[in-house]
Amino acid sequence: MTGIAHSFKLKIYGLQEYTLMLVDLFKGLSTFWKTWADAVNEMYWIGARAFMPVLLGGIFVGIILALETGHQLDHFGAKTLVGRTVSLGMIRELGPVITGLLLAARTGAKNASELGAMQISEQIDALRAFGTSPIQKLVIPRTIAALVMFLPLTAIADISGILSGMIVSKLSLSIDTSFFWHSALSSLLMKDIFVGFIKPFFFAFFISTISCYYGFSTRGGTVALGKTTINAVVYSSLIVLVLDFIFTKVVWELL
Amino acid sequence: MINLSHVSLELAGKTILSDISLSIKKGEIAIILGPSGAGKSSILKIILGLWRPDTGKVFIEGKNIAGIPEKEIMPVRSKMGIVFQANALFDSLNVEDNVAFFLREHSKLNSKEIRAKVAEILSFVNLKGTEKIYVDQLSGGMKKRVAIARALSFDPEIILYDEPTTGLDPINSKSILDLIKQVSDRGATSVIVTHILNDAISIGDTLSVINDGSLIQTGTVRDMLNSENQFVRDFFYEVYQDAALFKK
Ligand SMILES: Nc1ncnc2c1ncn2[C@@H]1O[C@H](COP(=O)(O)OP(=O)(O)OP(=O)(O)O)[C@@H](O)[C@H]1O
Ligand SMILES: [Mg+2]
Repeated sequence: MTGIAHSFKLKIYGLQEYTLMLVDLFKGLSTFWKTWADAVNEMYWIGARAFMPVLLGGIFVGIILALETGHQLDHFGAKTLVGRTVSLGMIRELGPVITGLLLAARTGAKNASELGAMQISEQIDALRAFGTSPIQKLVIPRTIAALVMFLPLTAIADISGILSGMIVSKLSLSIDTSFFWHSALSSLLMKDIFVGFIKPFFFAFFISTISCYYGFSTRGGTVALGKTTINAVVYSSLIVLVLDFIFTKVVWELL
Repeated sequence: MINLSHVSLELAGKTILSDISLSIKKGEIAIILGPSGAGKSSILKIILGLWRPDTGKVFIEGKNIAGIPEKEIMPVRSKMGIVFQANALFDSLNVEDNVAFFLREHSKLNSKEIRAKVAEILSFVNLKGTEKIYVDQLSGGMKKRVAIARALSFDPEIILYDEPTTGLDPINSKSILDLIKQVSDRGATSVIVTHILNDAISIGDTLSVINDGSLIQTGTVRDMLNSENQFVRDFFYEVYQDAALFKK
């Protein structure tokens, strides 16, 4: 029992530390341009270099979505609705979620292991010793880079998913491309696009800050670094799913 | 210049420092001596304000940094350079960027002036021409020099050295000690943490012996050699032996 109480206390303490980090981050945002060069560098690593995995993720999810729904809808003679299902599914849910999960793994592991290694080797202390705030130097550029890059990456997943869905629909369900295209576009509302494209910003913010927090919290040696990296990836992925649920359920109904 | 008054620190339920009072005068070379795990590095972290003591005060040039927010400590830190025990060089940067780090972040110098300054410091620590090398490709002694160069880059009034010669061969050790002496001759206040007696004796103005987080004795080399305290006598045992050897 005391073990549970203790671990609960640690969780609460961690949450408090994370909140304090966010407060520092918001305070530091006013001078974010000072770290612009770092942010651009991060954009390359967490954004540009994620292009391929996101593209492939989008393509395969689009294919699966088209095939699965196509076969099901075919039973009801409604396979013409595939275009609509694929475009709505990709833009509202699967595009953002697949991108979010891929980036949670990629960005989460990168941030936690880099900052964790810096923590272990006292480079974080060295930053502070030389008068530089680690939040300003490390967290803000990473967060800004994520905020900038996640949206275009999500758009890439969406588009590649819809296009690949269109191609398999033509090849294996014999749905005419122009027909698919028409059904895909005509069913889309502004609301769908809005919800689909607002998610990446929230994913970016939480993935980046959670993984940086875990990096900072690394204490000990290589084993500790492994653990914090696991935690960063797991919690970043979970927050993507939780946020997605919140958007699907709550925000959608509010709009 | 530096004044610790009744400083205590506990980490993870363990007493790290207990009731340490220490005073270091401007321009002197103060040595903090003690066995492994005594709390030497912790004292440096307290002086820099990286760690906050649970009780007690830490005065740097008259300003108590013990209870003030991180933001207010920053200007005080800019008076102090530190050489970390494991160097803590920024391993994603090359030698030049490491040494230039503070200047780029906080000084008004332009990039040409910074480059000139870095070259000057690197030649002072005998590392001319290493600007573009990444720090993980350097030898232990060279890393130490880069760490010293980084600490000197902004001409701080106080320089903290954490075990500057540990793990180095005698030649390298000697040249690092010479370097420390030269920096001190320019007027800097030096605090050196070490467990190597010979180094302490050869360059220290005052020595403070700590053990298990407590200050055992402060004084000159002579005070230490005449000490009645058993721990100090044990710690300096080597020196008595060397003296006996020489008599033979
Ligand atoms: N981050 C930390 N959390 C908890 N305990 C710590 C931490 N850092 C150091 N300690 C403990 O504090 C004590 C003093 O450590 P410190 O590093 O100051 O010793 P030291 O005198 O510098 O030793 P060494 O000569 O081996 O470097 C040690 O018992 C160490 O285990
Ligand atoms: Mg130490």
